[in-house]
Amino acid sequence: MRQLSADVVVIGGGTTGVGVVRDVAMRGYKAILLDRADLAQGTSGRFHGLLHSGGRYVVTDPLSGTECAEENAILGHIQAGAIERTGGLFFTLPGDPDPDWGDKFLAGAATAKVPVEEIEPSRALKLEPRMNPTAERVFRVEDGSVDGWQLAWSAAASAKQYGAQILTYTKATEITTAGGRVTGVRATDAKTGEDVTIDCGFVLNCAGPWAGGVAAMAGCEPVAVVPGRGIMIAADRFTNVVLNLCVKPADGDIIVPCHGVSIIGTTDVKADDPDHLPIPADEVQKMLDAGEKLAPGFRQQRLLHVWTGARPLIKDDRVAASDTRHMSRGMAVVDHSTRDGLKGLLTIGGGKLTTYRLMAEHIVDAMEDQTGDHHPCRTAEEPCPGHEPGRYFALNHRLKEREADRLSDQIICECELMSRTMFTDLLKEQPNATLDDLRRQLRLGMGPCQGGFCSSRAAGLAFEEGAIDIERATGLLRLFLTNRWYGLWPVLNGQQVAQAALDDWILQGLLDIGHLPAQTKEVI
Amino acid sequence: MATVVVGAGLSGLAAALRLAEAGERVTLLTKGIGGLPLSAGTVDVLGYAGDERVTRPYEALVTLAAAAPDHPYALLGRDAVEAAVAWLQAQVPELLAGQPGVNVTLPTAVGALRPTCLYPPSMAAGADLAGKAVAIVGPRQLKDFYPALCAANLARTPGGPAAAVGHSLDLPARPGEADASGLAYARSLDDPECRARFVAAVAAVVGDAEVVGLPAVLGYKDLNAWRAIQEGLGKPVFEITLIPPSVPGLRLNDALTALAKAAGVRIVLGSKVTGYTAEGGKVTSVTLHQAGHNQPWPADHVVYAPGGFESGALRVDSYGHVKETLFDLPVAAMGSGTVATERVLRATATGPDTMAPEGSAATGPDTTPAPAQPLLTGDFWQDQALFKLGVRVDAALRPIDESGRPVFTNLYATGSLLAGAIRWSEKSGEGIALGSAWAAAEVILGR
Repeated sequence: MRQLSADVVVIGGGTTGVGVVRDVAMRGYKAILLDRADLAQGTSGRFHGLLHSGGRYVVTDPLSGTECAEENAILGHIQAGAIERTGGLFFTLPGDPDPDWGDKFLAGAATAKVPVEEIEPSRALKLEPRMNPTAERVFRVEDGSVDGWQLAWSAAASAKQYGAQILTYTKATEITTAGGRVTGVRATDAKTGEDVTIDCGFVLNCAGPWAGGVAAMAGCEPVAVVPGRGIMIAADRFTNVVLNLCVKPADGDIIVPCHGVSIIGTTDVKADDPDHLPIPADEVQKMLDAGEKLAPGFRQQRLLHVWTGARPLIKDDRVAASDTRHMSRGMAVVDHSTRDGLKGLLTIGGGKLTTYRLMAEHIVDAMEDQTGDHHPCRTAEEPCPGHEPGRYFALNHRLKEREADRLSDQIICECELMSRTMFTDLLKEQPNATLDDLRRQLRLGMGPCQGGFCSSRAAGLAFEEGAIDIERATGLLRLFLTNRWYGLWPVLNGQQVAQAALDDWILQGLLDIGHLPAQTKEVI
Repeated sequence: MATVVVGAGLSGLAAALRLAEAGERVTLLTKGIGGLPLSAGTVDVLGYAGDERVTRPYEALVTLAAAAPDHPYALLGRDAVEAAVAWLQAQVPELLAGQPGVNVTLPTAVGALRPTCLYPPSMAAGADLAGKAVAIVGPRQLKDFYPALCAANLARTPGGPAAAVGHSLDLPARPGEADASGLAYARSLDDPECRARFVAAVAAVVGDAEVVGLPAVLGYKDLNAWRAIQEGLGKPVFEITLIPPSVPGLRLNDALTALAKAAGVRIVLGSKVTGYTAEGGKVTSVTLHQAGHNQPWPADHVVYAPGGFESGALRVDSYGHVKETLFDLPVAAMGSGTVATERVLRATATGPDTMAPEGSAATGPDTTPAPAQPLLTGDFWQDQALFKLGVRVDAALRPIDESGRPVFTNLYATGSLLAGAIRWSEKSGEGIALGSAWAAAEVILGR
């Protein structure tokens, strides 16, 4: 049993929760963040990687457009290393459903103050040769791509500098109350089974699609969160600029180049359970058709992985619950003192990854409205550790680093150019990590081979360098391959089939991993 | 009579060598090195029958053939496989030890015990570890081998060694290089001076171990390098195959290529066969894309050994349809009506990961109905039925159409292209490759 105390406990380690704990800590509160799994393992790691310019919302939701444009610039100041400044293009096609959308787009952008420049299609094709060449009107915007895991981890590092504690794999089980006030949080360390009790005066519920259940832990009426499920498919990178269809927001209207992949997204279907999100074959086909429209030839690209995420939409009675796309994307803070008569609990929902910092500012402001103790928010001013304003990520950074250390270090994951030292350093920081935990920060196994070559190396290294036993080391290998396959098989076709067959030759044929000594307990 | 063999894996090389030995004019066309450098350097005939580990592969092969009429072994039969394996062992005795018809188990790089039939002499001491004290040793600069992991898994394997300890050495293949491939080590150990340094470093750590396991990098061209290392250490050593490129596989590839050339096979490497011509149900030539133009290669017989999914000879398009890419030979279709479920958060996830097909409507231009059983499932540890697909052949190894008739009278399919087996799972790759090459050669030779 661990006994801790804090002013504020933040539940949920997505970008919103991490942004909140950073903001709270920077305002001088003693803060603890809990997540039942790893940082940004839910929705924040399961999107298409877009850093919005705001262009997507200029017609349908201009306020969101303005916020995106502002936050886009702020993130370039505080977390530039997580961002690639790709730029983006919106283009109209012959036969678009609304022939006037281009004019509406330009007018909306002016109102929302989202920077947009109309350019000649011929010039756009020079910027991105894979754009559909039949485009009629093209608008250039400040879209970029962003790594949700790096956003979360660098904001967490900043929060730690201000004294916050970040407890991953610590599942909140109860929010204790007394006399109409929050008094603390009970939790369990998922890796060790140890109970953790935290005394606190405030709980900020940032659990995204899981926020309803967290509110219920305090005995409140569950907040109605409607998870909107979307699938994303990553192809081996073939574009360098974000491609958007210039239409009313729809399924499959964007391709984002992010790290070594180009990601198409997405669908939007109401989901019942954010823990179990299906990837229906017909939705995969729909994305491939959409890809052909955005970048003809998409079906010939090498598809590496598919995943699905759930948008955390707070239910809004103005629209039907089955039409999640047109519910308000604006952030909503639920104050449980007025709603349920419980002081010290706030829930936040909605929003977008691009505006995570602003969402955090809003909920912390709402908290201080209750305490009456106001401190200025400084999260927009101070860059996170390891980030310099304007020093953006570029695809060739790791290549440069590996060229520099090629004689003194080993490349464990060739596809993503991850070195041995990168792996062992992070393992020292997180000795209980699974290979997937390490992957989210290092990109281990996320390239074309999808773990065929690097997974057994990673398990061997973890056993040699880490403080784990052979059962766990072998279990880590099994778990990693199990999880990689979930995202591989629904999109397995073309060149990736040869890779999957080669990987099976290696893992089963040469290493016979299927006949290693059996696992006796689950690896977490 | 002229035979063209397409493909330079074990099946293509064996067919070419066998035919050339018998006096045929043989040309082997290949877009690149074949699959042997991806192999363990062993001859697997049948390692597992379902969950059971096989000890007598020829007997198990007969049982399997009776139970699974679609398996290549049902077509080939025991005799062809047995004859082919014995023939190969006689061709390269310096590279293949073991008793045909009896399986042994050899440690893999992650410390599993893997069944096989024939194996390089340099691996023989690994077949008999039960009850022994074993040291597993490798250089830290070789990133494909982690001695501690290998040893710890061996030590907890039933029927494995009594004790196994891993040791990592600080021993670069080339001075100042932290990241050397297995091949770089193998080349360096061809050199007696490097070997002496290697032996000294290994000897310093093995202590009382009775047997020493080392990565399969003990020489590349010098096939006796491992013996010199064994003598230097004064105790038995065995090689452990690493992930590709596999040095034992390369040694076998080089030996068979040299034998084929010596027997008169003309090998054209680096150009892809992209088409063919046919007349009256016979293939008259294959088209080689060479130096920017298409070159027809006339043939009386064509042995088609291009590999399966791993080489790209079998392809799946984005609608889920499976194609054989050169002759468009009939292959069973793959349905697209399956549903995947991603477990978003493992910690709390429950329920099945394998979903039944959800309808079978084809979404692509081809309207072949989907099979009743899904070809892929979300469970990595299950066999994926997709990889059982391939070309079906008649008793003369000729690809057949849906009605069972040969597509061409002089085209023979061998090796991984054949339907009916997941080779990496049951450990049958070399047995099928050799048996089918042998059987095709017999037909061409009129036996």
